[in-house]
Amino acid sequence: MTTAQDRAGLLDELGLDAQNKAALGQVLGTGTIGQATERADGRMEATIRIRPDEISWDPSILVMPHGGDIELELINDDLNTHCALLPSNGDRKFIWLVNHSRGRAKLNLDGPGYYWFSSPTGNDEGRGLTGAIVVLGDVPPEARLDRPDQPRP
Amino acid sequence: MTVEYVDAGEAIDQGNLSGKVPGGDVAPPVVRGVNYERILNARSEPQNWLTYYGAYNGQRYSPLDQINTENVKRIGPAWVFQAGTTGMIAGASTYSFEAAPIVVDGIMFLAGWDGWVWALDAKTGVEIWRYKHAVPFDVSLCCGNVNRGVAVAAGKVFVVTANAHVLALDATTGKRVWDKTYGDVRAGESATVAPLVVKDKVIVGSSGGEFGVRGHLDAFNLETGEYQWRCYMVPKPGEPGADTWPADGEAWARGGANCWITATFDPETNLLYVGTGNPAPDFDGGVREGDNLYTDSIVAVDVDGGQIRWHYQCTPHDVWDYDSIGECILFESDGRKLLGHFDKNGYFFVLDRTNGALVQITPFVDRITWGAITRDGQVTAKVYPDEEGVPVHFYPGPAGAKEWTHAAYSPKTGLFYVPVQDVGATATRRRREFRESIPYWGAGVQVDIEEMTGSISAFDAAGDERWRWRNELPMCASVLATGGDLVFAGEPTGEFNALDARTGELLWQFQCGSGHHSNPTTYMVDGRQYVAVPVGWGAWSEGFLPGMLGAGHGSALITFALPETS
Repeated sequence: MTTAQDRAGLLDELGLDAQNKAALGQVLGTGTIGQATERADGRMEATIRIRPDEISWDPSILVMPHGGDIELELINDDLNTHCALLPSNGDRKFIWLVNHSRGRAKLNLDGPGYYWFSSPTGNDEGRGLTGAIVVLGDVPPEARLDRPDQPRP
Repeated sequence: MTVEYVDAGEAIDQGNLSGKVPGGDVAPPVVRGVNYERILNARSEPQNWLTYYGAYNGQRYSPLDQINTENVKRIGPAWVFQAGTTGMIAGASTYSFEAAPIVVDGIMFLAGWDGWVWALDAKTGVEIWRYKHAVPFDVSLCCGNVNRGVAVAAGKVFVVTANAHVLALDATTGKRVWDKTYGDVRAGESATVAPLVVKDKVIVGSSGGEFGVRGHLDAFNLETGEYQWRCYMVPKPGEPGADTWPADGEAWARGGANCWITATFDPETNLLYVGTGNPAPDFDGGVREGDNLYTDSIVAVDVDGGQIRWHYQCTPHDVWDYDSIGECILFESDGRKLLGHFDKNGYFFVLDRTNGALVQITPFVDRITWGAITRDGQVTAKVYPDEEGVPVHFYPGPAGAKEWTHAAYSPKTGLFYVPVQDVGATATRRRREFRESIPYWGAGVQVDIEEMTGSISAFDAAGDERWRWRNELPMCASVLATGGDLVFAGEPTGEFNALDARTGELLWQFQCGSGHHSNPTTYMVDGRQYVAVPVGWGAWSEGFLPGMLGAGHGSALITFALPETS
């Protein structure tokens, strides 16, 4: 029986967090986690990489402290071509990432909640190039229900 | 040696990769001149479908008659718009195409699932622009990733998103003009309603009745997005109606009564007529003794200030999930200003819309076992989940004898045309503690997958059934009535039907390849009438037709027209 504390070790031991070990690809949600940096003006920034032969985003879970604008640097260090389809209000953002390339993306996201992003080519999405952007925070006060605070799970 | 990275540039809008021709992504300014007066007189420009129901009266009737009982057998597909879906979206197994296409002078404005809005050339189906709101994957959706459409006015397109925003888009470019949050996703609120523009306001309501929220109707200034008013549909302690909730505890704060379907409006009474959703928890009435106002009610709200003027509760102390969100169709009879409403509880209510007085009530489905309502409106509950762990079977099931999908009324025939679902369900009460954002049903529920049936049934204002077109399966899509004496109605199995409005005879049928759960509309461009129907099975099908949970989704808008004459 495994407990949550064993998670990282067991993922590695079983080979769930790498290509062509336990499964064919890297199981989604087993990658790295990173936090966006907030600038003085409230805009956020982060760098997301694809490392050689990992077919996975690093970080594969990016956490934004709140909703708003974020600028991403997207780096493909892999020896194969990938791309990125990213959530953003207005339209999804697409960028082609040839081998050893670096690009940028400007996103606008509401919080709270999380959004998937991926490389929509071949089956990059199934092999591991599906990541999540998590937006923390609450809705504005004026959007909250007029009622006493309620219990949460 | 360090090798410089190849510059991949900056990510672009995915819509730029959709085959648009240069300059083809700007729509003509057809919405600039759409204002309150034009929407008020929407049926005087029958070439357009300016507002959700076609007109404020909710009749879903178009006087267009180019396509009629004589020639409807000759219509065929004019064009098809398909959006599909890519990536992982919220409710990936429950998205459904439910919108009512809006058409203004040859341009169609359409909302899809998961935050999509499109402007299309209504003559060719070519996409002009698209807007995509990023919808959180983990947003609470009781009944699927769906949206019922847009409103247009003052050069803008108004739409709500699943994470409870209301947006104004520039109708020529699809770019955001303003964006307001009006619900709390952490509380389980969401939004699916098609907005309604009245005067200088955009009216929207909240979804989330299965998560124990407090339902509300909201108004925003259509130019600025500034909040105008909020009308809660469950009173706080001390407010009128609060005595219909337990005096102790916070049942009222989780009471439901969401306004998730578009209201109708009468400029003479200055009232919005909106149906409210079920109380929460849906099936466990023991934690909320009383009538639970204003759940399951027809509520008349002053459009200027958001005050409730009167209400009529169709199912007091509901324990069957019988939302009264169904449309309130405004019509006149014998000089009286009336309102017709087909309720999930199986009864057809006609009210005096000036004061909410009951005029007549009659059942519109064959099997009603939950209880009975007398001609004078007295409600007696008979079968309901009461004892913990004891299964109870009742008709209609929680999707109702008619779901949210709309009936139509033809002023030409004087008949209402209602899509009927005759299907039962079993609920077993299972009490649980309330936790914000967690489903709050208070029961285990299983809808029948056998012995179900459906129909399009025609009723007159007195409640007399005039004809019935029978179907083996429940009918789960909105009906459209036209001046060509036709009634259009889609089937769960994909057939799109044209019936004779006077007899119910099936005159034409086309297999659309996926089930119907949407709002067909009709319009005319360059002298040619089109009938447009979004097709895409999904949503809460486990609730209204679980026997078709395995059917393909689809995501197409199909338009039909008579052959072009050369």
